[in-house]
Amino acid sequence: MASEEYRIGVYVCECGPNIADAVDIDRVIEEISPLPGVAVVKRHKLFCSGEGKEFLKQDIIDENITHVVVAACSPKDHEATFAGVCKEAGINPYLYQIVNIREGCAWIIKDKEAATKKAISYIRAGVSRVGYHVPLEQLELDSVPDVLVIGGGIAGIEAALSLASPIRKVYLIEKTETLGGTAAKLAGLLPYQGEGPGAIKSKIDAVGENENIEVYLESEVEKALGFFGNFEISIRPHEGDPVELNVGAIVVATGFSNYDPAEDKKWGYGKVDNVFTALDIEEQISSGEIKKSKTAPKKVALIHCVGRDEVGYCSGICCNYLFKIANNLKETFKDANITHFYRDLCVPNKNDEAFFNNLKEKGIEFVRADVSGVSKGKSGIEVAYTDESGEKGSLDVDMVILAPAVKPGEDTERIAEMLDITIDETGFFEEEHLLLGPVNTAVDGVYIVGCAQGPRNIPDTISQSNAAAGAILSRLIPGQKLLPEVKVSEVLESLCTGCQTCVNVCSYGAASYDENKGVSVINEAICRGCGNCVGSCPSGAIRSKHFTETQLHQEVIEALLS
Amino acid sequence: MNKDILVIGGGIAGIQASLLIAESGRKVYLAEKTSMIGGNAIKFEEVFPNMECSTCMLAPKQQELLQNANIELLTLATLKRLDGSPGDFTATIQVKAGYVSPVDCIGCGACYEPCPVSVKNPFEENLNERKAIFVPCAGALPNVPVIDTDNCVRFTKGEDCTACQEACMFEAIDFNQEDKELQLKVGAVVVATGFDEFDVKDLPEYGYGELDCVYTAMEFERLFASNGPTLGELTLRNGETPKKAAIVHCVGRDKVGYCSGICCMYSAKFARFLKHKIDGAEVFALYSDLCVPGKLNERFYRETLGEGVSYIHCGNVKVEKNSKGAKVTYDSAGKSESIDVDMVILAPAVIANPDNVALAEILGIECDSRGFFATETGSLAPVTTSREGIYVAGCAESPKDIAASITQAGAAVNKIISTAERASVPQAVED
Repeated sequence: MASEEYRIGVYVCECGPNIADAVDIDRVIEEISPLPGVAVVKRHKLFCSGEGKEFLKQDIIDENITHVVVAACSPKDHEATFAGVCKEAGINPYLYQIVNIREGCAWIIKDKEAATKKAISYIRAGVSRVGYHVPLEQLELDSVPDVLVIGGGIAGIEAALSLASPIRKVYLIEKTETLGGTAAKLAGLLPYQGEGPGAIKSKIDAVGENENIEVYLESEVEKALGFFGNFEISIRPHEGDPVELNVGAIVVATGFSNYDPAEDKKWGYGKVDNVFTALDIEEQISSGEIKKSKTAPKKVALIHCVGRDEVGYCSGICCNYLFKIANNLKETFKDANITHFYRDLCVPNKNDEAFFNNLKEKGIEFVRADVSGVSKGKSGIEVAYTDESGEKGSLDVDMVILAPAVKPGEDTERIAEMLDITIDETGFFEEEHLLLGPVNTAVDGVYIVGCAQGPRNIPDTISQSNAAAGAILSRLIPGQKLLPEVKVSEVLESLCTGCQTCVNVCSYGAASYDENKGVSVINEAICRGCGNCVGSCPSGAIRSKHFTETQLHQEVIEALLS
Repeated sequence: MNKDILVIGGGIAGIQASLLIAESGRKVYLAEKTSMIGGNAIKFEEVFPNMECSTCMLAPKQQELLQNANIELLTLATLKRLDGSPGDFTATIQVKAGYVSPVDCIGCGACYEPCPVSVKNPFEENLNERKAIFVPCAGALPNVPVIDTDNCVRFTKGEDCTACQEACMFEAIDFNQEDKELQLKVGAVVVATGFDEFDVKDLPEYGYGELDCVYTAMEFERLFASNGPTLGELTLRNGETPKKAAIVHCVGRDKVGYCSGICCMYSAKFARFLKHKIDGAEVFALYSDLCVPGKLNERFYRETLGEGVSYIHCGNVKVEKNSKGAKVTYDSAGKSESIDVDMVILAPAVIANPDNVALAEILGIECDSRGFFATETGSLAPVTTSREGIYVAGCAESPKDIAASITQAGAAVNKIISTAERASVPQAVED
């Protein structure tokens, strides 16, 4: 309840005719003025105008107001505006409450009497609530500008290069003995993507030459604790003692694995000679081995969508890389007959289709069909298929190239657990928001890029690495304090039974369990104030600052009773 | 080196780039040629693949942008000149007068009703009318109307009409406002000018303009939008509710020479809209290749199939008038077939914003043969244009979905800040 020392100022905005015509403001003043704690009730034609804000500020000062209620428009319009005025007038902005009597009353209720009644009850609720507000302060935290990048494929390399600078160090951790990942094994890129393996190699070289990037090969991240701006990392290097690092953000760029076509014997992989995966062939082309083979392939089948049904999605890159391989084979073996077996062409980039049309001109065949089996035939390999009109057919070839679906990387689960980030239904790391936060995760400061987030091509991978770097650079500024959420949750230790329900419901990793005390602890630097823990706590031991049970109770009771 | 940044285009890519740059403490000038921000994404009722409400998703971002002290939004603004060099550009921006003071206007809308002029509303794909003083749709942000001088009788006929001014209680309307030119000093530019739809009138075989029941994708988006011309009621131009609809994919794909990569997904969304909104609606999706790349898109397609939408792989689609509305003929599996429908929705190719070519000239950057801004692909730099200090994001670069546009916006911001970080501190010399 409002203490006697409280001097609550209630300011009713006319919003020109918007509120004044629909709500009887004189009556509002009459009914609100006698409420306990209310020192003044004043009206103004437009509080959000320059003059209105000045009036509000001066009145707060002149009348020695301790708590402010502004009855005006939607908080979306001007909650922040009046919080700013409170600050300027020397009042903690959390000792203020906006009440929406425009969208909530004036604009939706035609009957002036009814609109006035509703406005009065809303304002009474606001006055009642504000009496239970307490001043809250903004925390300021130091931060480390350095960044950890997990995975030394093209995604991780690009992230490291995009982040490293004389004022920002990057630690690049790679579990194998070389940088470059899958991209470095490719025979080249599509002609419109870049100048082939050279583009990848020059990026690898750039990492080596960058003194602000520290590379750990044959190493793994073992532990990551903390929050955006302050993570403590433990790395297990190839040899020697674990390395401890402090970083402000983490980029996960752990790449992908491939569907194993040996899982289904219909593909003939591992059983029938000269059945390869696309990556096998890429490596044969890169090494020059394919040219050395004694018998040049005369008839080649390229099979799309291998494992697509098993994984449940289209990987989006296979059509294009098979085109690239077909093109390469056609240039190397001019007389070879090359046939694609595809279901649907997925060529979503602006230059893809021209490349595809060019292949058709070169005499490469495209058959829209479901392949039912790859087996040893009378002369070589038999590819059996059903075309779109339902006709069965078969083709004898001497080489088969399979395009297996892109799957999550092998380490995905371990890393997800270590970083407390989630995995989605397809097994890839889950983004904070599929459209608006595609490289963010629910854990602030942890980003996912490249095929770790989902199947994608190299240019899109590079975009994502750049995007994660952009998100980090825009917020993790050397020497600048971090300002975490103010309206966070807090645990009332005496009521906490240590059941850890809150630890399980928190999406942000802010709730943890203190084993010594046997109670939950909320890390205020991580908490975003969503209130999930408050709602789920069976013993009422968690309180959301600025949304305490008392504050809400007083507000609702007053709104209902008045 | 100037730290301030110019962003051209207030769609989702431009908004995201502005917010990130502003967060880094830099001042952002966001130049948007229309009177509102949100671009095309704000026109959609829901977005694939999670059928999220687009307005609910984007409004917080728009709000954040309007309230960010580091961002100066310039509406009705176009770039006229760019002088200087990377790090030290001078941008000349023309800001057209809107005749309404954004400081005084509270967005109550009292000025619309008395306006004597009604004209087609291009924001609503000309499916309804608006006044000569207007916001393009309910919920437009900033919620400040502007006067359309091409139609306001004060400006077209010199009449002394003051209807809107009299209705305004805040003295926000000022007929004496003038166009102005601003000279902005900026270090870098982000170009996020979005896309346009292929003009389906160029392909008469689809019957657009001839048959009332033929709609473009964008028309359908607005027809379905709860703040659109029909307030979300799916009503055809003849007043009827559609019962049997054909969605034609790949309209103009052959003409433009590429697959736009998003149409299969939004077409599936349309199919669901129809199925959910109209009891017993029959929906046919006429497609040539199903393009649903990415980890969650095929699930969306399968769910749409599961709702009873008929997917027909076909080519050579033609739309003719008949008594029911339209007869749609097509070739499928070697046979010629047809269906009678009462609504046809065309999914046209995503094409470059026609303003790009002139803008590229002003900026001194290159466009590709299709009018999208060209990027430096040789070094695998998807947002780097042919000129240092100028970056491109979103559909200005090529057709893409919202996630990819947001990603490129972040990538452009990365280029700007990392260039500055590398330059701001002398490289440490190791012994």
